[in-house]
Amino acid sequence: MRKRLISTVLATAILAVAFAPAAIAADLTDIGFLDQAQIGSMPVFAAANQQLQQYQAQLNDQFKAAMRGARSDADKQRITAQFQQEFTDKQNELIGPLFQRAQAIIGNVAAAKKLSVVVDKRIIVYGGVDITNDVIAAMRSPQAVSAPPPPPTSSPIGFVDESALDSAQKVKDATDALQKFETDQQPVYAQRAKDAKSDIEKQQIAADFQKAVQAKRDSLLTPLVDQTRSVTASVARGKGLFLVIDRADIVYGGTDITQDVQTALNK
Amino acid sequence: MSRPRSINRLYAAKQKLCSIKSQASLAIAIIALAACSHVDPHAANIRGVAYVRVDDIIKHHPLYPQLDQLNNAIAAINLEASLPHAPLSPAEISRQTQALNAQLKASADRANATLGAKQQEYAQQEHDADVAALKAAGIDPAAAGLGAQMSATSQQQAQAAAQAAQSGYAQYQASVINQDNAAASAVAQQLGKEADEKFRARADQYQQEETDLSLRLAQADAAQRLALNTKLTNLAMDTDSRKSVSDQLNALDKKESDQEAALHAQHVRDLAAYRAQLGQQTTGAISKQVGQIRTETNAKLTARQAEVGAQIRSLGAAPVASQSLPPDIKKKLLDIHQQFVTKFQADAQNVMAGYQQTKDDLDRQFAALHGQNVGAVGAAAKQLADLQKRHDDLQAQMLSQIQRDAVRIAKEMGFTVVFDNVQAAAGGYDLTNDVLHDIESQHE
Repeated sequence: MRKRLISTVLATAILAVAFAPAAIAADLTDIGFLDQAQIGSMPVFAAANQQLQQYQAQLNDQFKAAMRGARSDADKQRITAQFQQEFTDKQNELIGPLFQRAQAIIGNVAAAKKLSVVVDKRIIVYGGVDITNDVIAAMRSPQAVSAPPPPPTSSPIGFVDESALDSAQKVKDATDALQKFETDQQPVYAQRAKDAKSDIEKQQIAADFQKAVQAKRDSLLTPLVDQTRSVTASVARGKGLFLVIDRADIVYGGTDITQDVQTALNK
Repeated sequence: MSRPRSINRLYAAKQKLCSIKSQASLAIAIIALAACSHVDPHAANIRGVAYVRVDDIIKHHPLYPQLDQLNNAIAAINLEASLPHAPLSPAEISRQTQALNAQLKASADRANATLGAKQQEYAQQEHDADVAALKAAGIDPAAAGLGAQMSATSQQQAQAAAQAAQSGYAQYQASVINQDNAAASAVAQQLGKEADEKFRARADQYQQEETDLSLRLAQADAAQRLALNTKLTNLAMDTDSRKSVSDQLNALDKKESDQEAALHAQHVRDLAAYRAQLGQQTTGAISKQVGQIRTETNAKLTARQAEVGAQIRSLGAAPVASQSLPPDIKKKLLDIHQQFVTKFQADAQNVMAGYQQTKDDLDRQFAALHGQNVGAVGAAAKQLADLQKRHDDLQAQMLSQIQRDAVRIAKEMGFTVVFDNVQAAAGGYDLTNDVLHDIESQHE
């Protein structure tokens, strides 16, 4: 009887532990999102982009003519840099003011809605606060836009600049080695595909090629990616962040941990 | 007696063990149950946040084998197209260029014919709609100058068609000039390459002849050389005799090297002359073929310009619209007009997009003709586009299902926000397995 009582108490305790919440905490409700593609297709952006494309087409013709007159590799490099700069200047001239206006509007809308972070719509599967329509309405309004308050200094959502992490030498080396493997192997498999008797055989050869590239990727890049993810998670934990996303998906706010991740990876 | 007691003790111990085991199993089951099916989305380490790894779900999706198959079919076409094309002779390049230009012209003609037909069709429809509107308002269409209205509409559409024709001509002109420049350059390259190959073959032949001569001379003099060398090994030979033998050997060497040098000098002269001859032939052939290409280009452009001119002239002039209609009727006619202009513009855009698509493919075929690696072209490109569409449709279907299920599960479990494509997670709940199990159960 006593044993049964102990068992019952034990089971109840286990149940209580198992089902009890870890702690009471408020849900995160300050996460917003913006459909950047929709903003980009607004007539004002579309017109600026069209102008930029026209300029680029003109510039391309001039670039080709200038390259034909190049006498050395140094000449070619100089010409390339010069034309790239001209394009960037034009881009800044045409898109820059629109982009700044949009950024200020996003900042104001986010502050008004008390959002700590705004991300791109493409990474939101469910929930979050959609500010797209508010931003579009403000963009259409002829009124001047006031400077937004600075974004909150702390946010539960962190971000890393993936392109910066990818520029690490060992990642570059691995990427180059993978690229070389793919370039070397492609003609071999291509010739086999050409000599194949049936479509099924060709598809099998293509699958083998993809498998070979994937195996190489797994041996060269996957360990680096895994290490980066593990280090990123560890840094995020240390900073009390929940999730870390790519910088490209951050529209407003968020906590940048790129530097910390780079430092931890170099240790 | 001791044996039964011991058996009883063993039995009791076994019963106790079973009881502990079952309690432990129960505890493990409860913990497992709690971990798997009861997640508190409001816990401090979750706070309503979840994430899904959509890429992983796709790879384990029941429809993934089909997607993979489409991927392989696409990869097979791309793989085969990555092989460099066999170099073509100038004649082949020229023939295929003509064929491609004919296709381009046919495509442009089709586009212009369609535009012309659409313009007439909409003008007629608009006229009918205007007549109906005027009659409904009790106005005689003829008295109201509907002919003028219709013509004005027709004129606007004609202007649009003329613009499209001019734009089509400008595109055609740029395309033909580019293509013919590339053709001229490819012909020059190919002829230069052929001349180089001929020169290299002749140089190789001379080299072989020189080697053969050297071998022949060495073989012819071998017996004499051996005899002289054998004499030199005689230690008892006096100095004068030794010198005489050495001189004979040297003379033999000189005779051989003189003959070899003479042949080599002759070859150098021949090669120089041959190079000059090849250069002249190549330059002549290049200018002949390039001249022919230029003539064809000019003829094509002149013919096209004449066609476009005739097409534009046939569109007619703009009469003056009637001013005597009441404002509401004018507005109605204007609305009808706007409606047909919009329809025509949409159709014109579609026609031009279709033309552009064909032109892009022909341009790529043209680039491939000149040895550029541009991927699949022609029938393979069409097959690739079809496969890509099927791939994209299937992937969209899978993504849509994943999205739907993730949203439903997130709602059921009480999450406030669900992310995709996270780089790392130090908190929140990974919803991936829940969504995956749900999808798998639907396909069972």
